Amino acid sequence: MYIVRSHVLLALWLITDLLIFVAAYALAYFLRVGWILSTDFPFAPYITVVAAVAPLWLLVLATTRTFHLGRNQASLRNGAYIGYAALVGVAIFTLAYYFAYTAFFSRLLLIYALVLTGACIWLWHIAFDALGRRILRRNPPTFPALIIGVTRESKALIATLEERKSAIKPVAILDAIGVKEKEIHSIPVLGKLDRLESTLTELHITHVIQCSDLEQSINLLSACRNRGITYLLLPSVLGIVERDGRIDSLEGYPVAVVAPKQSLIQWFFR
Amino acid sequence: MHAFILAGGFATRLWPLTEKRAKPLLPIAGKPILSHLLAKIPAGIPVTVSTNAAFAEGFEEWKKTIDRADVHVVVEDTRSDAHKLGALGSVARWVEEYAIADDVLLLTGDNYLGFRMENFLGRQRLGIPILAAHDIRDRERAKQFGTVIVDPQHPTHIKAFEEKPKEPQTTLVSAGCAVLPKETLGILVTFAREHPDNMGGIFEEFLRQGIEVDCFAFAEPWLDIGSFASYLEAHRLLIGGKSMIDPSAVVNGSTLEGSVSIDRECVIEGSDLTDCIIFPHCVIRDCTLRNCVIDEHCTLEGIDLEGKMLREGTKLVREN
Repeated sequence: MYIVRSHVLLALWLITDLLIFVAAYALAYFLRVGWILSTDFPFAPYITVVAAVAPLWLLVLATTRTFHLGRNQASLRNGAYIGYAALVGVAIFTLAYYFAYTAFFSRLLLIYALVLTGACIWLWHIAFDALGRRILRRNPPTFPALIIGVTRESKALIATLEERKSAIKPVAILDAIGVKEKEIHSIPVLGKLDRLESTLTELHITHVIQCSDLEQSINLLSACRNRGITYLLLPSVLGIVERDGRIDSLEGYPVAVVAPKQSLIQWFFR
Repeated sequence: MHAFILAGGFATRLWPLTEKRAKPLLPIAGKPILSHLLAKIPAGIPVTVSTNAAFAEGFEEWKKTIDRADVHVVVEDTRSDAHKLGALGSVARWVEEYAIADDVLLLTGDNYLGFRMENFLGRQRLGIPILAAHDIRDRERAKQFGTVIVDPQHPTHIKAFEEKPKEPQTTLVSAGCAVLPKETLGILVTFAREHPDNMGGIFEEFLRQGIEVDCFAFAEPWLDIGSFASYLEAHRLLIGGKSMIDPSAVVNGSTLEGSVSIDRECVIEGSDLTDCIIFPHCVIRDCTLRNCVIDEHCTLEGIDLEGKMLREGTKLVREN
């Protein structure tokens, strides 16, 4: 039932994005032409092309993985992706309109459309993200997460997930050696790893986040694979605690990378 | 005399091997740790094995595989580590419920004892508790055990007993094997009410009450199988640098070095295995494994592993 919740939410998000895209272009038209239906630049063919282009734009936007329900929509990186998709949208629209009617039109309208789609979509994504997080976290949560390990890092992670009302909601903690703490930020410590199977079953865990006990990574991964659970590993388990690690590709092999600190310019070419 | 084997722990440190089986039922050299222990107990001494509800089925199955009729399994109604009775609590409950009026040979089910039990029992004086102790010659490790301080003038007399001391005075540690004479069982039951989990504490209590406690120090191997490292160590000790392959297993084009045991229905092809325990029904192809314990029904292909315990059903197949 609660998995359906995320699917409905996602469908709603895609539909509203399409509507906002079309509405932003309509607004750009009226801002440029005035609050009339011009006969020199008719609204009907214009909006028809916008509607036809909208799914393509949505596809471009989707390739940026902005519709991931756990992504922080307010981040600058996400804003940049949306801006990039808006730019591609304008390009596709221009080409489509020219191909359909062999006519050019106001460049200012294109700028309006670019700014409006970028800004409206980003703001809507931020608002939708806040709404979505509330809906996804309602009990029973859509993405209940099991935290493995009581460590400084896991405590910080739980605090962040709770503070930001993350869609991935920690519901239980297990620790390989057993700890005295009964709960961390109100999340119960249920015991040691011998309770893994029962915890995964009873709490319908969708995400396991490993924060310690590197020696058990294969076994945790195996449990996740067997049950179709998403497995996440904190870089701190590997000793990467300085927030400068990233996952990259080396000739097609996924690798964890910790590179020397570089200047902002070099960041683009690392 | 009646033997009582404590096997009611949940062995969380050996997870995931103990996820579905109790630690005393883990195999070493082709048979469970418990069977090695049982083989030490002289015929004619009835044996009771105490376990918990979570692992009871495994012990009933094990019972069918042994050739002794005088083995009885008692089950504590506990299903998790948090609710267990405690080792001493288990003994006390058994003594009370079954009105035990014999001397009790008390053993912990996860220990490997290298000495002959007859030698130990032969040293017991009538009415005097006796405890087997082993010198591990490592003061740091001694902090994890109950240490036995003997009278320097009379090394067979225990002067003091300290359970997991912060500053051990000796490296002679309790080996999980003792005889409690029937006269002392009342003290045990009373003490267990307040300290159900303090097994070593009963010897301190005897000494506090002025009851003599004897020490049987032995030099033969002793292993407390409580961790992955000690399990592998016990495996190496009993296999002795050889390979032990079940007749139903298939081993082709593979190199086996050190102590390797391969259980029934396994298929090992094109792999290099060093000091490994492979449980039944595993398929291992083109792998290099060192110091690994691979639980049942695992499939490994094209990978290298070192120092890993893999849980049942793990599938690691390298995609090319």
